[in-house]
Amino acid sequence: MGDTGVMPAPDTDPARLSDRAARPQPAPSGVARGPRPAEDGVPAIALDGVSKRFGRELVLRELRLEMAPGRVAVLKGSNGAGKTTLLRMLATRLRPTRGRARVFGYDLQRQGDEVRRRVALLSVLGGNYAMLTARENLQLATTLTGLHGADVDAALARAGLAAVAGGLAHTFSSGMKKRLGLARLLLLDPPLWLLDEPFAALDEDGRRLLEDALTAARERGRTVLMASHELERSVRFADAVLELVGGRLVRAGGPA
Amino acid sequence: MSDLVAVLTIARKDLLQEARGRAVTVATLFFSAVTLVMMAFAIGQDSELLRRSAPGVLWVALAFAGVISSAQSFQSDLEEGAFDQLLLYPVPRASIFLGKLLANWLYLTVLGLLMTPVTLVLYGARAGGDAWLLPPTLALGVLGFSLIATFYAALTANLRAREALLPVLMFPVVVPVLLAAVRASEAIVQLSNAPLAGSWLQLLGGFDLVYLVTCTAIFHLVVEE
Repeated sequence: MGDTGVMPAPDTDPARLSDRAARPQPAPSGVARGPRPAEDGVPAIALDGVSKRFGRELVLRELRLEMAPGRVAVLKGSNGAGKTTLLRMLATRLRPTRGRARVFGYDLQRQGDEVRRRVALLSVLGGNYAMLTARENLQLATTLTGLHGADVDAALARAGLAAVAGGLAHTFSSGMKKRLGLARLLLLDPPLWLLDEPFAALDEDGRRLLEDALTAARERGRTVLMASHELERSVRFADAVLELVGGRLVRAGGPA
Repeated sequence: MSDLVAVLTIARKDLLQEARGRAVTVATLFFSAVTLVMMAFAIGQDSELLRRSAPGVLWVALAFAGVISSAQSFQSDLEEGAFDQLLLYPVPRASIFLGKLLANWLYLTVLGLLMTPVTLVLYGARAGGDAWLLPPTLALGVLGFSLIATFYAALTANLRAREALLPVLMFPVVVPVLLAAVRASEAIVQLSNAPLAGSWLQLLGGFDLVYLVTCTAIFHLVVEE
C-alpha cells in the first residue's frame, strides 16, 4: 500500500482504494442529517462485483472497489467506458444489475434515501430548471434537502453568479449553467461529491472556481469521485486514478 | 423537512414554471376552445342534441387538454436533467408524485371552471338550481383524470414515442372516471337530479381514492430505473 492509498485487492479483480483515511472524516453537515454508520472505517464507496446491463450491453463488469472517506479519485476512460453510468449508479439513479454497492455503509438499493442524504451529483447537463431563476433553483434544493437557512446568495456569489441570481436559468450559457450546478454542490456540500466532467463548459475563471472548491472540499474531508477527460487538471487534486475500459476497472492507482 | 412541504414545494415549482413559460396554458386553452367549437359544428343545429351533448363534450375537451398539460409537466422537467436532479434529493418518491399531481389538478380544475360556462353558453345548456354541484364534480373528475395522467406521463416521459403512447395507455384506464364525471354532469345540467348526481360523485370519489392509493404507492417503480 503506497502513500496514494491504493492497493490491489489480493483475491479480487481488480483493486481497492485503501480504507486508511489519512484525512479527517467528513463532518455530519450538508445534506447528511441522518444517522451515520455506527462503525469507524466504513468505506465511502464499496462496490462488490457490481455489473450493469442495458438491454444486451454490459456497461459495467464486476466492479470491485473500496474508497475511503476523504479521498479524491479521478475516473478516467474513453467515451462509453461506463464512467457516467457508475456515477449515476452511486447517486442512486441506476440500479446495479448484479453485485452490491454501498455508500458510507448504506446499500444503494435498499437505503436510497440515506445514500441521497450523503451524495450530490454534478451532471454534465447541470440539472437546473430552465424557467426558475438561479436563486429559485438553489432555494428548491435547500427546501427539498431540509437545509433551511442555508445562504443561497453566498453560494451564488462563490460560483460567480451573484449578478444574475434573479435571472432565469434558460437565459444562461452552458458555462453559467455549470456554475449554477457548482453553486448547488457548494450549498449542499454533502460528504460524497460525484462530478461528471466538471471542467467541461467552464471558462478559465470558472475552472479556477472549481479548483478552489475541490481544494476546499479536500481540506474539509469530503470524498470526491470525478469523471474527467481533463486528466492533467483533475489529477492535481487526486489521491488516485481509476481507469475504466469497456466497463472493467483495469487500474486503481496513484495519479503518477 | 416534512413530506407535505416537499409536496407543496414541487407543486409551486411546477405552477411557477408554467406561469412563466405559458406553453401549456396557450396550448390547452387553444386546443380546448377548438374542440368545443368543432364539436358544436359536428353536432349541427339541433338545439336539443347540442344541449344533451354539453357534458360529454366538456369532459372530452378537458381530457384532451389534460393529456397535453400532464405530458408537458414532465417534459420541461426532463430538459437539462432537472428531473434527474429532483430525484437525487432525499425526498420520498410519493411526495414528488403528489406535488406534480397537485399542480396538474389545480391547473386543470381552473381550466375546467373556465370552460364550463363557455360550454353551457355555446351548447345552450343550463345548470339550474343544482349548479353548485358542478365545481365539486369538476374537482373530483379532474382529480381522477390527473392521477392517471400524471402517473402515465411519468411512465412514458423517457420513451421516444411518448406523445403517441401517453393517450393510448391512459385513456382505457381513465374511462371509468370520465364516465362517472359525464354522468354526474348530465344529472346536474340536464336532469336537475341532485341525488343522482350525488351517487355518481360518490362513485367518482371511490375511483379517485383507489387511483390515489395505487398510483402513489407504485410511483417509485416508475421513476426508479
